[in-house]
Amino acid sequence: MNKLSDQSSFEQKSFEGAFELRSLFEFSSVVNSSLDLKFILNHFLLTLMGKLVSLRGVVLLDNGSNSFRIENVKGLPLDMVGSTIKIDKIPNRILSANAVDIKKYQWMKYFKSQGIHLFIPLCAQDKIVGITGFAPGILKKKLSKKETTYIKSLANIAASAIEKNLFIGELKQVNRRLDGKVQELNTLFEMSKEFNAVLDPDRLLKLLMFSVMGQIGVNRFAICLEQDGSMNVVASRLNKQFNSELCTYIPSLSAPLLVQDITKKSDAVWRDSLTELGICALIPLRLQNKTKGLLAVGEKMRGEEYSRTDLEFLSSLGNLAVIALENARLFKEAIEKQKMEDELLIAKEIQKGLLPARLPDVPRFDVSATNISSKQVGGDYYDFIQLSSQQYVIAIGDVSGKGTPASLLMANLQATIRALVPIGLSLAELTKRVNDLISDNTSSGRFITFFWGMLHTESRIFKYVNAGHNLPFLIHRDRSITRLDKGGIILGIMKAVVPYQEGEVKLDDGDVLVLFTDGVSEAMNSKGEEFGEDRLEEIIKENLNESAEVILKIIVDAVKEFSINTTQSDDITLVIVKAKSVH
Amino acid sequence: MSQFKIDLREKNDINVLDLKGYLDAHTAPELEKVLQNLMDVNKFNIIVNCKDLSYISSAGLGVFMAYIEDVRKHKGDIKLTNMSAKVYNVFDLLGFPLLYDITKDETEAIKNFSSLKS
Repeated sequence: MNKLSDQSSFEQKSFEGAFELRSLFEFSSVVNSSLDLKFILNHFLLTLMGKLVSLRGVVLLDNGSNSFRIENVKGLPLDMVGSTIKIDKIPNRILSANAVDIKKYQWMKYFKSQGIHLFIPLCAQDKIVGITGFAPGILKKKLSKKETTYIKSLANIAASAIEKNLFIGELKQVNRRLDGKVQELNTLFEMSKEFNAVLDPDRLLKLLMFSVMGQIGVNRFAICLEQDGSMNVVASRLNKQFNSELCTYIPSLSAPLLVQDITKKSDAVWRDSLTELGICALIPLRLQNKTKGLLAVGEKMRGEEYSRTDLEFLSSLGNLAVIALENARLFKEAIEKQKMEDELLIAKEIQKGLLPARLPDVPRFDVSATNISSKQVGGDYYDFIQLSSQQYVIAIGDVSGKGTPASLLMANLQATIRALVPIGLSLAELTKRVNDLISDNTSSGRFITFFWGMLHTESRIFKYVNAGHNLPFLIHRDRSITRLDKGGIILGIMKAVVPYQEGEVKLDDGDVLVLFTDGVSEAMNSKGEEFGEDRLEEIIKENLNESAEVILKIIVDAVKEFSINTTQSDDITLVIVKAKSVH
Repeated sequence: MSQFKIDLREKNDINVLDLKGYLDAHTAPELEKVLQNLMDVNKFNIIVNCKDLSYISSAGLGVFMAYIEDVRKHKGDIKLTNMSAKVYNVFDLLGFPLLYDITKDETEAIKNFSSLKS
């Protein structure tokens, strides 16, 4: 009988053993085939509660530095999930709160109050990844050694599965972070490529804006840039105006920062204005260690905070943009300079073509003239037109402005006077016609100071009209001076209402007539002083006995010497007419 | 140079943009132009079909960011459909699924538009 009972007890035991092994195997395959941590924890709790016939269970996972987070509960308030508990003495074996000195395990008190007594560490390769706790089984029987072993095995299997899962989770996170980094680098690479290919500043700014919006997920921002020495807002998607006062704060920034991190007391006013504008972070745009602008970004649409990485990305992107903008500016400058030089060359050609290639021989007179054009081509003009064997028209003019527009107007003037002179009207009437034609044909703001006269070589009478030009000198042999001031309004401003007046002078033996432009009288020296008409007058007086050509050369040399070490800023034009001695 | 093309059509009063090819910094201004034109004529119900979109970069996403607020202010939306896994990954990485209605196909997007109205 005993034998028989032994036999059945043995069968019972081996049956139980096989059952336990099978359930362990099943548990293992279920938890190890899942990549869902929540599912694993849930399944683990339910399996153990079933085994222990317990109605309450909790599972906690290591959260670092002795703190554990409640991940799942059964039969307990759900709001426990997510809270963390400090566990300074971690159990390394199955413990019952009733069998230990509770003073040593302070943390157990909380669980005890919830009816949890039994604590099982979750060990994976000597590392405790978590703790699970249960209420005593409703059958209240003490755990047998075999049951303890079974529970331990279950806990170990669960612990390995949990650890594997945490590891995979971590890998996934690392992978995603890497993907994010790759995306950032892709953006930087793409933008640097695109920035280099674009020379239009507006398009450059637009690209910068799109990539900031796309990469960071923000659509409130402002961009400020230094232009011609001052900081200006060049783009803004803020609800309020980014005021220009804030711009003065920008140059003091050298590294990206969050507005909330502005702690300097003196900067508090900036922090408050920026916060009011909804700006969260400031990214100075730097070029060669100088802050050339600012990217100010508002809250992200997803509400996240700005990370270090975000600021670094924005800084790299912004600096790329600033380099590209600077390149675009330099390129434009170079093109414009080239264009201007080409234009000046054309202007110079036009001017050269208009001036008389050779002065006519004027009987009984000694004449000389020159035009030294400045780099910008000032628009000076002089002319000698022979009307008959005894009549010569002598003209000088200065067109306002410089370059091609000035030289074209000059060409217009020359064509007009050459066309009008032969029709035989008085100089005053001709001047009125020239003025009316020119003012019809010029844009506003352009004008010509003009002086011309008709020299009769027999009578040596010189009739003239001065339309706002520098008063020519007529210096007589006795050194007395007549300034030729009769005339009227400057050419080209408006149609003449008041008729031009005609002046008349007679050139006697040795008298010298000097026509000049402001390039002579207003030539500057390095101290910023003008050459002046007095100086001009003196020079002429001192050299009255010289030939026209020599007088001209002396004046030109004097002007050049006066303005030594300066750049000639205007054309220098001179016409000298000297009456030869015939008596 | 990379190819990008936008075809515009209308479906149930909704403007559908078919994007083809590469949407990057270089081509983003083209999309901007099309969206701006729609804004100018008060068309705020927009579906962007990404079936033939082979690549999108941050600058491309930025264009959507530039208009989404305006569109929603006018009770409209920009809904994105038919994304390839590769294109979706970029949207996902930059957190766009939280901000935009991204649907499997146009039918679903149209359904979302009409449920919005009622």
